Amino acid sequence: MRWLNVLSARLRALFHREAVIRDIDEELRLHIEMETEANISSGMPPDEARREALKAFGNQGRIKDVAYQVRGGGMLEALLQDIRYGARVLAKHKGFTLVAVLTLALGIGANTAIFSVVNELLLRPLPYREADRIVMLWEVNPNGMRNNTTSRSNFLGWRGQSTSFEGMAAFSDRRLGLTGAGGEPEEVSAQLATPELFQVLGVTPILGRTLTAEDGGPSPQAVAVLGYGLWQRRFGGDPAIVGKPITLNGMSFTVVGVLPENFQWHISTRSGTGKPAEIWVPLNMPTEGPGVYGRFLSVVARLKPGVSTEQAATELRTIHARLAQDNPERNTGWGAEAVPLREQFVGNVRPALLILLGAVALVLLIACANVANLLLSRAAAREKEIALRTALGASRMRVVRQLLTESVLLALLGSALGLLFAWWGIGALVSISPRDLINLEGVSINLTVLAWTLLVTLATGIIFGLVPALEATRLNLNDALKEGGKGMGGQGERSRRLRGALVVAEVALALVLLASAGLLIKSFIRLQTINTGFNTENVLTMVVRLPDGKYNEAPKMISFFRQAMERVRSLPGVREAGMVNFLPLYGGLGSATDFTVEGRPVPPPDRELTTSVRVADAGYFGAMGIPVLRGRNFADVEDREARHVVIISESLARLYFPGEDPLGKRISVNMFGEPRPTEIIGIVGDVRYDSLTDEARPTAYFPHPELTYPFMTLAVRTNGDPAEMAPAVRRELSAIDPDQPVSDVRTMNQVMADTVARPRFNTLLLGLFAGLATLLAAIGIFGVMNYSVTLRTRELGLRMALGARPGRVLLLILRQGLLLTLVGIAIGLAGAVALTRLMSSLLFGVNATDPLTFASIAVLLTVVSLIACYIPARRATRIDPMIALRYE
Amino acid sequence: MTKATADLLQGTLDMLILKALSLGALHGYGIIQRIQQMSDEMLNVEQGSLYPALYRIEQRGWVSSDWDTNETGRRAKFYTLTRAGRRQLEVEEASWDRLVLAIAKMREAS
Repeated sequence: MRWLNVLSARLRALFHREAVIRDIDEELRLHIEMETEANISSGMPPDEARREALKAFGNQGRIKDVAYQVRGGGMLEALLQDIRYGARVLAKHKGFTLVAVLTLALGIGANTAIFSVVNELLLRPLPYREADRIVMLWEVNPNGMRNNTTSRSNFLGWRGQSTSFEGMAAFSDRRLGLTGAGGEPEEVSAQLATPELFQVLGVTPILGRTLTAEDGGPSPQAVAVLGYGLWQRRFGGDPAIVGKPITLNGMSFTVVGVLPENFQWHISTRSGTGKPAEIWVPLNMPTEGPGVYGRFLSVVARLKPGVSTEQAATELRTIHARLAQDNPERNTGWGAEAVPLREQFVGNVRPALLILLGAVALVLLIACANVANLLLSRAAAREKEIALRTALGASRMRVVRQLLTESVLLALLGSALGLLFAWWGIGALVSISPRDLINLEGVSINLTVLAWTLLVTLATGIIFGLVPALEATRLNLNDALKEGGKGMGGQGERSRRLRGALVVAEVALALVLLASAGLLIKSFIRLQTINTGFNTENVLTMVVRLPDGKYNEAPKMISFFRQAMERVRSLPGVREAGMVNFLPLYGGLGSATDFTVEGRPVPPPDRELTTSVRVADAGYFGAMGIPVLRGRNFADVEDREARHVVIISESLARLYFPGEDPLGKRISVNMFGEPRPTEIIGIVGDVRYDSLTDEARPTAYFPHPELTYPFMTLAVRTNGDPAEMAPAVRRELSAIDPDQPVSDVRTMNQVMADTVARPRFNTLLLGLFAGLATLLAAIGIFGVMNYSVTLRTRELGLRMALGARPGRVLLLILRQGLLLTLVGIAIGLAGAVALTRLMSSLLFGVNATDPLTFASIAVLLTVVSLIACYIPARRATRIDPMIALRYE
Repeated sequence: MTKATADLLQGTLDMLILKALSLGALHGYGIIQRIQQMSDEMLNVEQGSLYPALYRIEQRGWVSSDWDTNETGRRAKFYTLTRAGRRQLEVEEASWDRLVLAIAKMREAS
C-alpha cells in the first residue's frame, strides 16, 4: 500500500501544488516562532532570539526543497513539464516529427497487426469449456505418418480400456444433401458423431437437446442437431424447430436441438469436407461386421482433471499395442498419439507466425535506428539549448529524462497512427488469408493487443531515444556555449561513428529480412513450377454427390453420371470432359490400399504392394491433360459396364513391374470385398494427388462401373474462360435431376491457388515486411549521408576550390556510404545464416542458406544503398566553393 | 560533556521520532523538544532536518497528521503514531539493541 500513499501524495502535489507548499511553509514558520518564543522566555532579547531560532533550524531553503520533494512534488510535475515542453518541440519541428512518427507508425502498426493474429491463434483461450483438457486422439501409421484416423473397432478399444479420459467421442465429416424446408437443394457440411461429442466439448444447446446415448449405438436414431448458422439461414431461426422433420440425403431426420451461435467444431486435418459442420447426426457404431475396421474416424477426448496429455498418450499407446496383439493383420506397426487441441488447431501455423512476429520486430528495430539517427542529427542543433540547461544547474540525469520523455511522446504519437495502420492491416490480412486453413475472422485489436502495443511503444521510445539522449548530454559546456561553436561541437567524431553504426545495423537487419523473404519467394516459385502431372489451364471442376436415399444402387449412379458426362460433352465450348472420385489436390485424402499381382506369391503383411486408387472415366485423362503413355484409354463400353480393366500410373509400373511389361498383367486390388483380378490396359503419366510437395504415388484407375462411387468430381476442359461455363454445366445436371446439388465449383487454377494459399500468404507478408525494412534502411542511409554532406560542406567546398573534380567528390561520398553498407551486409549475412535455419520448415526445394539467394540479396541491397547515397552525393558535387567557404 | 553531533543516520532519526511520538501526539517543535529531553540534551538534531524525515515517515504510514490548536491556543500540525508506526518502532528498537550489544561485545573482546 505504500506505493499508493506515495502516488496519492504525488498526485496531490501535482494538482494542489500551492496548497502543499503553503502547508509546509506554515508548519516551518510556526516551528521557528515557537523556538523564538522559547528563547525570549529564557531571557534573550527578541532580535537575538529570532536569530538563534533561525540558526538552530538550519538552511530553510534547502529544507523546504527537500521537504517538498518528499511530499511528492517534483517528479510528476517535472514529467508534466517535460511532456508540455516535448510537445512544443515536436510541434515546432513538423518535418522531423512527421518523418519520425510515420516511420514509427509503420513499425508499430506492423507489430500490432501481427501480434493481434498471434494473440488470436496462439494465446487466446479456445472457445470450449476447460479447453486445455481436450485432446485429439489419432493413429500413427507404420511409416510414422501422424494424425491418422482410426477405425470403429480401435475407437471402441480405446474407449473401453482407457482410464485417463472423462469422455471420448468419434466423428467424421460428410457432405449431406439437404432438401425441402422451402429452399434450393443444397449440400451441407455434416458431422456424424458419437453422442458423447457434446459432453466432451462442453457445449449446451440453446434449443432442445444434443445427442444422448440412446441416439447412438449400432442402429442410431434419425435425429439431427442444427448449428446456429444453418438454423438461421435455412430455417429462419424457427423457435419451434425442435421436433420437426428435415430431409438429409433423401431420408427424414427429426431435429432435436440447436447449438449456440459461437459454437464451431472443425478439425481440418483429415476432414472429409474441409468445412466446419453445420449439422450433427449420430454415427452408427456396429461392434462387428465389415465396417468396423475402416479407418475414417477422428477422435476427441476430455482428460480427467489432473491427467496430463503425456500420461494419456502413454496409456493410449499401451492400449494400442494390445489392440495390435488382438488384431495383428489390421494393427501391426500402427501406433497412437494424443495431441492437445491448441496444437491441433495451430501447430502447423505456429512456425510461420513466430517468424512473421520476428520479422516485424526487425522492421521496428530498423525504424528505431532511423529515428535514433534523426535524433542524433538534431542533437547537434540542440547542443546550445542543452548546454544552457546544464549550465543553469540541470543534472545530466534530468536532461536525459527530458529527452527521453520527448522520445516516448514521439513513440506514442507513432503508435496512435500505427494502431490505425494495424486496424487497416488486419482487414487486409483477413482478406488475403487462406480462409479454410487459418481462421482470422476473430482477429481484432482487443485489450491484450493494446496492452502489448503500449509496452512495445514505451520500449521503442526508450530504445531509439536513450543513445541520442546520452550522446546529446555528453558535451563540453565551454565549447558549446561559445558563439560559433557550431554543429560539430566536441562530439563530432563519436557522433559520426554512432550514426555509421546505426546505418550498419539497419543494413544488417534489412539483409536478414530480405534473405528470409528471398528464400520464401524462391521456394514459392519452386512450388509453382512443380510438375504436377496435369494441365490446369481452362479446366472447370465441380463435385456432384448423389444422395444415398435416392440413388441406392450402383446402376442408378452409373446411369446418372454417364448421362451427365454425355450432356456436358455436347455443350458448345467444351473440348473434353471427364470425372474422377478424388480430384488432385482437392484438399483431402483419396483412397489407397494393397494389391496382389496375379502369378506372384502373396507377400507377407509388412511387405505388401500398395497403391492409391482412383475411379475415373475415359474423358478424365484428356480433360486433365494426363498423357496416356502406353496401351490405351478406357473404351466406351468400359464406361458402361464392368469389364475388369485397370489403368496404372507410370510410377506403379516402374515400382512394381521393373523390367517387365505390365500391359496385359492382372492385378487384384483389395477394394472389392472379394478378390477380383483386373487387367492392366494402359499406363498414364504420374499425378501428384495428395500434395504439391509429395512425390506422386503409384495409382490405379478403375472405370466408374468397375468401382462405383456416389460422388464424383467433374473436370471440364473448355475453349474459353472455364468459370463462365459453370452455369451451363449446372443447367445440364439439373435437367437430369432438379434436386441434385453441386458443390466446390472451382477452376483447376483456383484449386492450385488454394493449394499454395498458405505459402503464398507467408511469402506475401514476409516479402512485404522485407520491402518495408529495405525502404526504411534506404531512408536511413539517405538521411545519414545527407547529413554528413551538410556537415562536410566546408571541407568539400575547400576540396573543390583546390581543384577536386565533381566526379571525385561524388566517389568520395559514395565510397563512404558503400563502406557502411558492405559492413552491414557482412554482419547481416552472418546473422541470416544463423537465423534462416529457423524457417527451414517453411521452405521447399531451397536450402535455408541458399548461396544464390544470399548473393542476390546482398547485391540488391548494395544497389539500393548506392541509390540512397547517390542523391546526397550529387548534392555534394553542386556545392559552390565560394558559398561553402563563407558558410561558417 | 560532549554532545553527539547532529549527523545522525537517517534511520536513527526515524527511530527517535517514532520513540518521541510513542508517548503521545506532538507537533514538530514538540518532537525536537522531546528528543532533547529524553536524551538528556545529549542528542542535538538540526531542527529543520526533522521535517523531511517526518514527511517521509508519514508517507510510509507510520504516523498521521492533523492541524489542531495546542494548549496555548496556537495552531500547529500534530503528529500521531499509527499502529504500523508502533510496530516499526519495536522493530527498530530491537535491531538497535542488537547492534549496541554486538558493538559492546566487540569492545569487550579487544
